[in-house]
Amino acid sequence: MQDAPAPVLPRVATVPPVVAPKLPSSFSQWIVIARGQIRHYIRTYRFFGLLLFVGVVSAAWLILLVASGQGLVRLSFLNSISEFLTDYAQTLPLWIILAAGFFGGDALSVDFHSGTGYYTLVMPVNRSVLVAGRYASALFVTLAIVVVYDLFGLLGATYAFGPGAIPWDPLALSLGLSVLFAFAAVSVAFCFSALFETPATGVLTTILVLFVALTTLQGVVELAGFEPWWSLYYAGGAIANVLDWQFVAQQTIPVGGGQFIQSWSATAQEGAAIMTGYLVFFFTTSIVLYQRKESKG
Amino acid sequence: MGSIEVSHLTKCYSPGVPVVHDISFREEGSGAIGYLGPNGAGKSTTLKLLLGLLMPTSGEARLNDFDPVRDRRNALARVGAIIESPEPYPSERVFDALERVGQLRGLDRNGIDDEIDRCHRELHLPPLEWRCGWLSKGERQRVVLAAACLGDPEVLLLDEPTNGMDPAERVEVRGFLKRMKRDHLILMSSHLITDVSAICDRLIFIDKGEIRLHASAEEVAARVRVRAVDVEFARPIATEALEPLQPWAPKVTRLAERRFRLRFDGNEETLTRLLVECQRIGPLSSFTPAVPALEAAYRDIVTEGSVRPE
Repeated sequence: MQDAPAPVLPRVATVPPVVAPKLPSSFSQWIVIARGQIRHYIRTYRFFGLLLFVGVVSAAWLILLVASGQGLVRLSFLNSISEFLTDYAQTLPLWIILAAGFFGGDALSVDFHSGTGYYTLVMPVNRSVLVAGRYASALFVTLAIVVVYDLFGLLGATYAFGPGAIPWDPLALSLGLSVLFAFAAVSVAFCFSALFETPATGVLTTILVLFVALTTLQGVVELAGFEPWWSLYYAGGAIANVLDWQFVAQQTIPVGGGQFIQSWSATAQEGAAIMTGYLVFFFTTSIVLYQRKESKG
Repeated sequence: MGSIEVSHLTKCYSPGVPVVHDISFREEGSGAIGYLGPNGAGKSTTLKLLLGLLMPTSGEARLNDFDPVRDRRNALARVGAIIESPEPYPSERVFDALERVGQLRGLDRNGIDDEIDRCHRELHLPPLEWRCGWLSKGERQRVVLAAACLGDPEVLLLDEPTNGMDPAERVEVRGFLKRMKRDHLILMSSHLITDVSAICDRLIFIDKGEIRLHASAEEVAARVRVRAVDVEFARPIATEALEPLQPWAPKVTRLAERRFRLRFDGNEETLTRLLVECQRIGPLSSFTPAVPALEAAYRDIVTEGSVRPE
């Protein structure tokens, strides 16, 4: 990306320094921090890189749909709009976790790993404002990824079933849950970022914990006959569940030999409650950890 | 005017092992204070405690009479600082990195442009559209010094401000800081004695986490123990001609045709006697301590734990 040239400053005779009148409000500082961080995501190509990746995968999905429309392939989820949207939305939590890890996993640890912190932390800004500003920008770019993914899905649904078939109310609820899920996932990423000193550790831990560890543990717990109400990934299932016309919250599934297992799926209320719990706990913890962290290196 | 204060400040990284131990000092008004000591003496730790980057184990640090841990915004509102090796985001343009600081300090659009322009001229900053990741160490250091001075803070805390700069850059920055100290309070730590002696009016020596000396530069010079003098005669002198100095200066080293270094016991009477004896040998061009006073004081503190008592 080509940068705009820096403003040409006026050449004037020596002037006395301009004394900063008084500190701006914490809200103004929050805006400065958030804007600077978004600019950082854009300049490092991290944002456009992930956006491109999501765009390519979603476009491939659309191409598959077009091929199906022309009879070249047969897609099982094209039986109903509900089935299509549910199937499409099921992968959204994974994209959100990836984006949250990418943008939030190193947002705070960078201050204790390189000299960046010594540039920023000597400014007259409360650390909670620094966290909140960076959090807002990580959330903003994560939601941009969600919007791009959802737009492709909407385009696919319109192509396959026509604009009149779109169920707007469940879709809006699903989008609302996606936003809440993004809030929660970015909070977890920020917490790991405040906990670790190496930026890559925060990114990897977020992705591994939220995706690999939680899904594995969730499977084991369900096999043992318990509802995984503590798992954010389980809560993320609600994003797709609200689009499913045949949604059942709890089912008993026969596995052969007269044996049965229980299976749970999060409702919208349950999902929203778990996500809010994650958001409050991990965001608060990340602020507390970051405020107490010392620049020893 | 600004103030810097530490009171019974102690910091332990591991329990019972203080990096800084019960140090106290207060400086206010304007001027430059050199904060000197060997590696690991506790200089950077003190500055980090003052900036709230570390939490004290006991005691307190205050900037402009505010506690940087409890009241961060007010403590750092009128303070500029360079600590360790600060780096703006490598992808950020120099202008953006400075603009961000100006905005966080409350400067308006015109104020930011004027301040960046002033720093650009006074510190010869690299082109403002360059990305910070492209800068050499010296260029980056000038950018972070500009960031520290943006908005004209009352207090500057500078840890090795000329780090990574070439000699010409160091001279420029020394001149800049000498102008700044007229109406700012500067606490500057450095290993470069030449920088400290050129800029600072007052000195604090720290070693093994404890303050060994806190005095004006003149007081330090007066109390320092000179152990070697360089004497230059007006005409060439044979080494044998200096044999009469043997009782007072057991070791004489020829530095040049007319220049010798005389090492002695550090006693003032011996020094006077040496001057008289040298004048007997031949007319003198100069008779000066071999090591600058500040460097000698530094050596005394590092090797003996203190300079000569008053």
